[in-house]
Amino acid sequence: MEERIIQFISALRGGGVRVSLAESADAFKAIEELGIQDRERFKLALRATLIKDASDLATFEELFPLFFDATEAPPLLNLAQDLTPEEAAMLAEALRQFSRRLREMLEKLIRGEMLSQQELDQLGQMVGLNRATDLRQREWMARRMAQALRFREVQEALRQLMELLAQMGINKQRLEQIRQLLQANQEALMEQLRQHAGQRIAQNMAQRRPDQEIDELFNRPFNALSDQDMDRLRKEVRRLAALLRSRIALRQKRARTGQLDAKATIRANLKHGNVPIEIVHRDRTLKPKLVVICDISTSMRYCSELMLGLIYALQDQISKTHAFAFIDHLEYISPDFVGQEPNAAIAGVLARMPSGYYNTDLGFSLEQFSRNFLDTVDSRTTLIVVGDGRNNYNNPRLDIFSMLARRSHRTIWLNPESPLLWATGDSDMLKYAPLCDIILQVSTLAELTAAIDKMLVQR
Amino acid sequence: MPTRTFASPAELQAALGEQQYIANDEIATILYLSQQLGKPLLTEGPAGVGKTELAKALAGATGRELIRLQCYEGLDETKALYEWEYAKQLLYTQLLRDKLQETLAAAPNLAAAADRLAAEEDVFFSMRFLLQRPLLRAILSKEPTVLLIDEIDRADAEFEAFLLEVLSDFQVSVPEIGTLTAVHRPLVVLTSNNTRELSEALKRRCLYLFIDYPTVEQELAVVRLKVPELAPRLARQAVELVHRLRTMDLRKAPSISETLDWARALVALNARQLDPQTLETTLSVLLKHESDLQRVRREMGQVEPDGEPRPPRRPRPDDDEFTRYRRVN
Repeated sequence: MEERIIQFISALRGGGVRVSLAESADAFKAIEELGIQDRERFKLALRATLIKDASDLATFEELFPLFFDATEAPPLLNLAQDLTPEEAAMLAEALRQFSRRLREMLEKLIRGEMLSQQELDQLGQMVGLNRATDLRQREWMARRMAQALRFREVQEALRQLMELLAQMGINKQRLEQIRQLLQANQEALMEQLRQHAGQRIAQNMAQRRPDQEIDELFNRPFNALSDQDMDRLRKEVRRLAALLRSRIALRQKRARTGQLDAKATIRANLKHGNVPIEIVHRDRTLKPKLVVICDISTSMRYCSELMLGLIYALQDQISKTHAFAFIDHLEYISPDFVGQEPNAAIAGVLARMPSGYYNTDLGFSLEQFSRNFLDTVDSRTTLIVVGDGRNNYNNPRLDIFSMLARRSHRTIWLNPESPLLWATGDSDMLKYAPLCDIILQVSTLAELTAAIDKMLVQR
Repeated sequence: MPTRTFASPAELQAALGEQQYIANDEIATILYLSQQLGKPLLTEGPAGVGKTELAKALAGATGRELIRLQCYEGLDETKALYEWEYAKQLLYTQLLRDKLQETLAAAPNLAAAADRLAAEEDVFFSMRFLLQRPLLRAILSKEPTVLLIDEIDRADAEFEAFLLEVLSDFQVSVPEIGTLTAVHRPLVVLTSNNTRELSEALKRRCLYLFIDYPTVEQELAVVRLKVPELAPRLARQAVELVHRLRTMDLRKAPSISETLDWARALVALNARQLDPQTLETTLSVLLKHESDLQRVRREMGQVEPDGEPRPPRRPRPDDDEFTRYRRVN
């Protein structure tokens, strides 16, 4: 049992749930308290100690039955036993009509034989089950295995068999019985396949080493990420944000013992007759105001998406955020984030402004920005542009950009491209560069996180 | 009242029931675990599902005192743990001035006087002048307590880090006095509305309980318990309606406490059935946003005549002007 639980925990880890050693030790302590007889309590003991995030509950619920439920598929019924000799003869006669392969399959169904472990393994190998590490693939894998067993043809054959038997003059009621029985047997086989697929995937998950892979993803350039990688990274954003937050918080704590605030000290000590008993220090950690302008064209999508995700997960460290997205024109997207999960809001924005054959035009977007939203930029604002500076030979509108840079406290440009490429093609980066205070190259999530950490330091 | 510990989840469940809190098996079991393992319990879930109520019921059931720490942005150690009572210290020094002078008068020189004063220093930095805030109160209490740390997600990350130290060994060091250790380990319940991610370190130290909206039957039981005057048939209708509202995409879904308020409103209005008239007058008890109200009215088939049409989407500018150059961006 202990081994089973340890396997279960590794499978959870494989599924992207972070379980620490201390937590797995807690799980064992909890099981000692509650015992393993009562299935529900056992499950609760594991859940309360291992799962600390509501979004991980689904993974837990999916994996738990694969490890701890009686995994026997419903037993198949042996039809051959309760046939009268007469019926058996008819059946044998009818079966002769089919090809050898189909006949063998049908006979198996009639005898109610389950698939052996060896057969299952073979099937799994055929459909690539050994490489599957995502429970979402379970149904699909089961269906592919069923295909490999030629389930559809067998079903067709069953129908023909029933017709043949009917022609031979078998009792109608009896025929219906036989049909139902065979049907049930086939469903049971399907269930067995599904079970096997689930267990196998869970096993694969348990063997996978998740952390290396995710670290590797953090350092993979945005343009080399697949959709699947993005799915995993999106999940990590909140965790990264939590890490960043505690780093920022620590920094603020250290920064707090700063200058003496004379005015505030006098005010605070009025009640003590101006004897300075309480000393007040100046709180130097003003939270920054951000204006973020994100390029969400195809080449920049992932970068901007993760950027917005991180910024919105860190809202409590920022006094105000105005977010804008552009491709060929600019849209104010902050309202999307009101009362919505950041990830959902970003997905909404991306769906509203689909990528495709557009003319990326930062110049025009800047013009729109200065026309409609100029009041969002003041001397306390940090202006952040996330983009590759590739402007399709449109007018870069440096005049507006330099005006914005002057108005804002700081101007930061995040560019995923290496400086070597800035002078090539339609890149206007070299023209924008002298106007920015800081330019950071962010081609991976790790770099992006470091950049945000840097940005949130207010001076 | 003597404090109780429970021998099984079922016993705990029954005791919570006596406190008018209907706990399902899940809640009772995890709460029992938290008692047995001596670990804080972190409860999460939508607002108004009875997370705070759970801590209160637990305090009632165990016969322990409830000490509550409400978190908010900017909460710091002086508000959560302890603070020196400066004004009182100052007052005492003023009043005791004569006595102090007497003590110091016999000193031959300044150094000796300072030594004597230092010897008396402890008087002014003693427990007498220590203003105990909830955390310290829970630690020092002679009787066992339940410590409720409410809405931890609203506090700053910095405070969370500080809380870790306290929760792991229940001792704090006050530089002037020394280390204070808990007499009894309090039962700790933390609640969070999940407005931000809590730090992993904090989560690791806690047991986790997610409380979701109850099922129709559970919520009906709550309504029956708290508002027994409401006719059973009407109660069921009301609860079912609330559940339907929760499946809709509202800005704020009605919570259990709002269901109860609504049930009380129905009783007060002497409602016999949920007709459009009653709904119209009482719906604002359940829904607190104008847009939600309008939306629900619309979906319940009571279209308002003056419902303004939505403004048309802004057209994309210069749609046909970009023929100069195209590329897959």
